[in-house]
Amino acid sequence: MATEIKKKVLLVDDDKDFLTATKLILEKGGYEVALAEDGKAGVEMAEKEKPDLAIIDMMMETWGEGFSVISKIRGLETGKKMPLIVLSSVDLQGPYQSFEPSEEFPKVNMILQKPVKAEDLLKFIRDLTT
Amino acid sequence: MSEKPNSEHILIIDDEESIRDGCKQALERFGFHVLSASDGQEGIRIARELHPAIAFVDLKMPSVSGMEVIEILSKDIEDIVLIVITGYASILSAVESLKKGAYDYIPKPFTPDQLRAVARRALEHRNLKIEAKKLKEEKEQIERNFITFVSHEMRSPLATIQQYMEALRVVSGDCLGTEAFDIVERCTKRIQNLEALVEHWLDLSRIENGTFAVDREPVDLHSVVEKAVDEMSHLCQIRGISVITNFPDVQPKIEGDKESLIRVLINIIGNATKYTPSGGTISIGISYDDHYVKLSVKDTGSGIPKEKLPFIFEPFYRAGGKEERQRGSGLGLTFCKRIMEAHGGAISVNSEEGRGTTFILTFPR
Repeated sequence: MATEIKKKVLLVDDDKDFLTATKLILEKGGYEVALAEDGKAGVEMAEKEKPDLAIIDMMMETWGEGFSVISKIRGLETGKKMPLIVLSSVDLQGPYQSFEPSEEFPKVNMILQKPVKAEDLLKFIRDLTT
Repeated sequence: MSEKPNSEHILIIDDEESIRDGCKQALERFGFHVLSASDGQEGIRIARELHPAIAFVDLKMPSVSGMEVIEILSKDIEDIVLIVITGYASILSAVESLKKGAYDYIPKPFTPDQLRAVARRALEHRNLKIEAKKLKEEKEQIERNFITFVSHEMRSPLATIQQYMEALRVVSGDCLGTEAFDIVERCTKRIQNLEALVEHWLDLSRIENGTFAVDREPVDLHSVVEKAVDEMSHLCQIRGISVITNFPDVQPKIEGDKESLIRVLINIIGNATKYTPSGGTISIGISYDDHYVKLSVKDTGSGIPKEKLPFIFEPFYRAGGKEERQRGSGLGLTFCKRIMEAHGGAISVNSEEGRGTTFILTFPR
């Protein structure tokens, strides 16, 4: 094979600009990128596009939409083992919004705060997809 | 009156049947929906069940006295307006009942017109009270929403701009000349500062409306210092500043919120690094007496002019003047002061130009 098949990353975020910026970073990092601007499209693409990893904004439209997207993706056959990164513009792990996922909350692989440094993001994705 | 009075109940509690009937007739003719009870016990039961807007209560009743009824109803029934029916001889007890929660009294004998006037006034009072309560709740809701608004609507675009900066660096970093790259760096720095400002401002709003968590549990100041120093060690290293800590053998515990205190200390150490030249020292010490525990942060920096010292805890005050604009949110020390106040403690400062500055955090023991 002349070229290696590119890994595919799904980005779900209702902020178009954030999608564009992150897409540029990921493409530069050698990934194929699929974009979804809302939760519903995100879940559909997670099923159809079978990405190797998905990055999901926690605070789309309403607080909590991210949660339901994650549950739905985890409920898919293709999504059971898909590495998931949750993004938020709020420091979810800081002392004041401490986000403690409940027992029944589907597992995500990583929680990151926006903005994410390009090199960090690429490194995390590499670690999670190999 | 714009409100429909007949949508609300008026309760008459009186052991005299003639009074009950008289009141009922007079008020029903005016469109009120009237309930009546012949003793205190029954009155309380009906009020708890039907939540009348107004209750007229006879003070002199067998078994449960009117005074007791007033006390119970004013406690149990939200927004109820209580009016005492009293004989001329017992004006004094009417005054007493006002203290217990009655809004007004009407002396016997009274005419239907007098009764209606009192009832109307009581309803107006009730409507105002309910309105005021609603406004207060709305105001609190707006304050809470504002914080949520700022969190999301201001932070999100900032994060997006920063992400674009990252993308720009990654996509075209190699093609950019030194000057253009420098511009990207400077923009990034300014956006980071703006982000810090939003962050600090949010913290202050949270402190003001009480949603900032200030837990009260025994805190070991030693560990607070270690955590903060650990967090700042990298920056100090870059700036060539050494950090010395000096703890007493015995550690008196204080009551407080560990996370907030770590942030206070990080703020103060951060400030010290800004004004301390390379090769300087930041010394952090803990001392105590019978009543207070003191934590001091002393630097060997440029110091703060005497005339500026009283203002440094004010929001957006910058002791360094205009050049300092780019260096912080201007809210760091205000944050520290508020947090210390929330701990029942205080923050104070000593400084000598050219010699250095010492911040002292004082906690009650």
